[in-house]
Amino acid sequence: MSEACLAAAKSALVGVANGDNLASAICAAMEAAVAVPVARHLEETVDLTALQETVDTLGTNLQGTMDGLNTLLLLYGGALVFLMHGGFAMLEAGAIRSKNAMNILLQTIMDAACSALMWYFVGFAFAFGIGDKPNKFIGNAMFALKDIDTHNTGSGTGKWIDWFFQWAFAATAVTIPAGAVAERFNFNAYLGYSMFIGGWVYPVIAHWVWCIEGWLGYGVLEPFIKAGMIDFAGSGVIHMTGGLAGLIGAIMVGPRLGRFDADGKPVDMPGHSAILVVLGTVLLWFGWYGFNPASVLLINSSAYAIVCGRAAVCTTLAGAAGGVACLVYGFARHRGWDLVGLCNGILCGFVAVTACPHVIYPWAAIICGLVAGLWFEFLCWLLLKLKIDDPLSAGPMHFGCGMWGVFFTGLFARQQYIMEYYVHAPSANGDLSKPYPWGAFYKGYNADGELVASDGKLLASQIVGILVIIGWVGGMMVPFFGIFKFFGALRIPPEEEEMGLDRSKHGGSAYNGHAAGNVHGLSPNAPGTDVMRNSSPSAKVIPVTA
Amino acid sequence: MADEDPVAACVSALVAASITEQQATALCGQFAYSADTAGFADSLMQTNQGLNTLYLLSTGALVFVMHAGFAMLCAGAIRSKNTMNILLQTVMDAAVSAIAFYILGYGFAYGIGNNPNGFIGDALFGLARWTSHSSSNDAGANWQAWFFQWAFAATATTIPAGAVAERLNFNAYLIYSFFISAFVYPVVVHWVWAAEGWLGYARLASYSHLFRSGMIDFAGSGVVHMTGGFAGLAGCIMVGPRMGRFDSNGQPVEMPGHSATLVVLGTVLLWFGWYGFNPGSQLIINYTASAAVAGRAAVTTTLAGAAGCLSCLLTAFLRHKAWDLVSGCNGALVGFVSITASANVVEPWAALIAGLVGGWIFDAVCMLFLKLRIDDPLSAAPMHGFCGAWGVFFAGLLAKKQYICESYGRDCDGYVADGLFYVGDGRLLASQVIGIISIFAWVFGLMIILFGGLKAINLLRISAEEEQAGLDVSKHGGSAYNYDHGLGKPEKAQALGL
Repeated sequence: MSEACLAAAKSALVGVANGDNLASAICAAMEAAVAVPVARHLEETVDLTALQETVDTLGTNLQGTMDGLNTLLLLYGGALVFLMHGGFAMLEAGAIRSKNAMNILLQTIMDAACSALMWYFVGFAFAFGIGDKPNKFIGNAMFALKDIDTHNTGSGTGKWIDWFFQWAFAATAVTIPAGAVAERFNFNAYLGYSMFIGGWVYPVIAHWVWCIEGWLGYGVLEPFIKAGMIDFAGSGVIHMTGGLAGLIGAIMVGPRLGRFDADGKPVDMPGHSAILVVLGTVLLWFGWYGFNPASVLLINSSAYAIVCGRAAVCTTLAGAAGGVACLVYGFARHRGWDLVGLCNGILCGFVAVTACPHVIYPWAAIICGLVAGLWFEFLCWLLLKLKIDDPLSAGPMHFGCGMWGVFFTGLFARQQYIMEYYVHAPSANGDLSKPYPWGAFYKGYNADGELVASDGKLLASQIVGILVIIGWVGGMMVPFFGIFKFFGALRIPPEEEEMGLDRSKHGGSAYNGHAAGNVHGLSPNAPGTDVMRNSSPSAKVIPVTA
Repeated sequence: MADEDPVAACVSALVAASITEQQATALCGQFAYSADTAGFADSLMQTNQGLNTLYLLSTGALVFVMHAGFAMLCAGAIRSKNTMNILLQTVMDAAVSAIAFYILGYGFAYGIGNNPNGFIGDALFGLARWTSHSSSNDAGANWQAWFFQWAFAATATTIPAGAVAERLNFNAYLIYSFFISAFVYPVVVHWVWAAEGWLGYARLASYSHLFRSGMIDFAGSGVVHMTGGFAGLAGCIMVGPRMGRFDSNGQPVEMPGHSATLVVLGTVLLWFGWYGFNPGSQLIINYTASAAVAGRAAVTTTLAGAAGCLSCLLTAFLRHKAWDLVSGCNGALVGFVSITASANVVEPWAALIAGLVGGWIFDAVCMLFLKLRIDDPLSAAPMHGFCGAWGVFFAGLLAKKQYICESYGRDCDGYVADGLFYVGDGRLLASQVIGIISIFAWVFGLMIILFGGLKAINLLRISAEEEQAGLDVSKHGGSAYNYDHGLGKPEKAQALGL
């Protein structure tokens, strides 16, 4: 019996995966089945319990693998986003005069530290906490990471790594304005601002857009007008917030001494190190590969992995296009290939595409970057006309291009790509609880499966998103800076500004080449001892004493 | 035939053997399922291997970036006339430690040969017999373990460079660098991290543990930072202060570094690298529990660094009435060093305490050094040595039982030694203290002997003239900075107002 069965089964299963094992398993079971009727056999002798155990073990192991993979994504992505602090520090230090370098470097480091504490105590809770009474406006649980084990942290329940990843973004939003108010801002005011935005202004916006209980985001449970705003990694949530806060600060604190001459013409104030500007740009570029691709949050499915890859492609193309746009524009205007212009343009491209790298075609990313670069140049020109002094152009770059990116998403977001990433669960009666609105530029499928032109709901949501972010940040930051200004604590006195913040507030200079005299072991006056040529105030600066 | 559905083939075979089709389908479905699960399990195991390799590869690379951090930090914090010297030392540390760790270090640290013992490893020298002697459950695979561990060894090696900066003889540094990465550091690693080591918490269950507990040192507050820091202390005591660091009354004279920008760049790169250093030290990530540990390590690391930064910043403000950038940077690093031992097993609020107190300890030790006229240009010994010791001690106070079980794969129903401030019985704290004392004695003792020997043959310190001129000109054939603004002679530059 056994041999015959085995031969029959094997011949029947030739070429089938695991055929031989299958055959012997079948025959063994059939032999056992001789004694028992087959129906009973199925219930009793086939060891379903053991099989179930195997499957359970496999399931647990698979869960572990997925958790590990997703944690690694956010750990690595978050570390890259953190490195953008190095980028901001170098970029900002290089683009201002050396007498204030320590000040801005300290602000950047302090932003990271302050925002970590604020994010721990309140920020993360306001942004992502879902407590007993969830509401659309603000989060209300997980203060100081309390009860993190049982709460949804964004990418799952009790995921510590979510706090870290989201903190890295919060820290970025906090540090963006430093460049706009550089060289003249009161340090205490900056400290206050840093805690205020990290603990309150930014988290509320993050709740609206990124927490599933919010009202504004595309992926939230009950989005505004059944569409919601697509903001993948934060053109609006982060860059507009930081950029607008900086712009308001720059307007309220006034221009640097000597930035505009008596006729109101701008006077050039070049930064002290182009090398640092480039180092900063490259570090930011590097960091953006965490900022955008890792914002997918999970990578354990083919669709998510594809979205993550596409985000990296579109990010690269937009940055490149922005850089080229600004470089060519600069050449056309000044007949000079402008290094700093190129660097700015690249960053503008990144800022703009941050809202949508997961839902647009690569060619659209190029358009996004090109327009961002030109839009940036226009805004910079406009600020000079209005005599607003933004040393790092943080306002035009992060606020202006961020706004463009959010708007652009409303035009070019492709429905098929949207559906890859945003999965809307069907409601009880089997219908999709939410449709998938798409960009105004394309046709897409409506709820009845017909190919139709866009109804513009997505574009409308994007515009509403832009307006409410402007309203919220403006409404918070104008009074905040206003109070400091009222008490005369917003700006440093002119003597200190003349001397530079490093000597007046930070007890020294960033560069100690001259002071030490014989620094290189050469005679003090030999060429080469001027470690940085602008280490004393440049002769070009015309002090305004009136 | 190959494309045919195996279940259908099975069913037809059974029907041919006179069983009804319905029953055959039920039977065959189960067996096919069972055969599939074996295939799933295999591909899952391979995915896990890839995942864990990627984990150690990426976090190891982050740890390596810390070399750039140390290079920038050290260069910025010293005078520009010695910049090339310290940059060269940092790069060379990476190279020398790789060779030394390959030939001897990894074997002393992790080799399991014929006579496994608690003191030192005895196999895998030159990575010989890797396939048969590497860690038992993944024999032959896991090459990335060497890479990951080397990145830590290189860090320990390069920490002392800052303490002896601007005056140590380059040949002496070369000898020191090989000695620490080939012998001193690996032995400490074996004690604490190897499966046989006498001191470690994760010692194999079949051995007896120190005080039934062993020492918790997750990523190396003790193993890496105390080793590097106290080696630096031995060096800067033996080599003496820089010329002019203390005036004739013994009062310290400020010697500010030449570039605050580089200090900040270095700090940020170190901070970045620490996200490999701590979260990567869980070593595997393919379990829900270990993924949670890696995540928590990132959280506690961030908070401790932030607390340390603000702690030192405020202390400096209270002392000097100025917001001191370098203090803030040092403070952040102090926070990281302090949490490195316990990043996996403490609550976030505890991480804040670790960083805060670490900052105070750092400031106190720095002041003490100046009183004792010990010149440590980068404060490497207070930062890595003393705050490393604080970090190890701290783990004995606030390590939480539930987190220990997650990280070390223990059963929380059994006996688990945990922090004194919880229901702990002090066994863990006692182990931590023994660990601190042993590491200090081993490292400081050996290093005093090494540097003393070098001093005896007059090889330790450069001559006074060379120190005056700067090491770059005297030893490295030039200067780190060679500016030419294209404006010709200095007079012309002055005329142009530059």
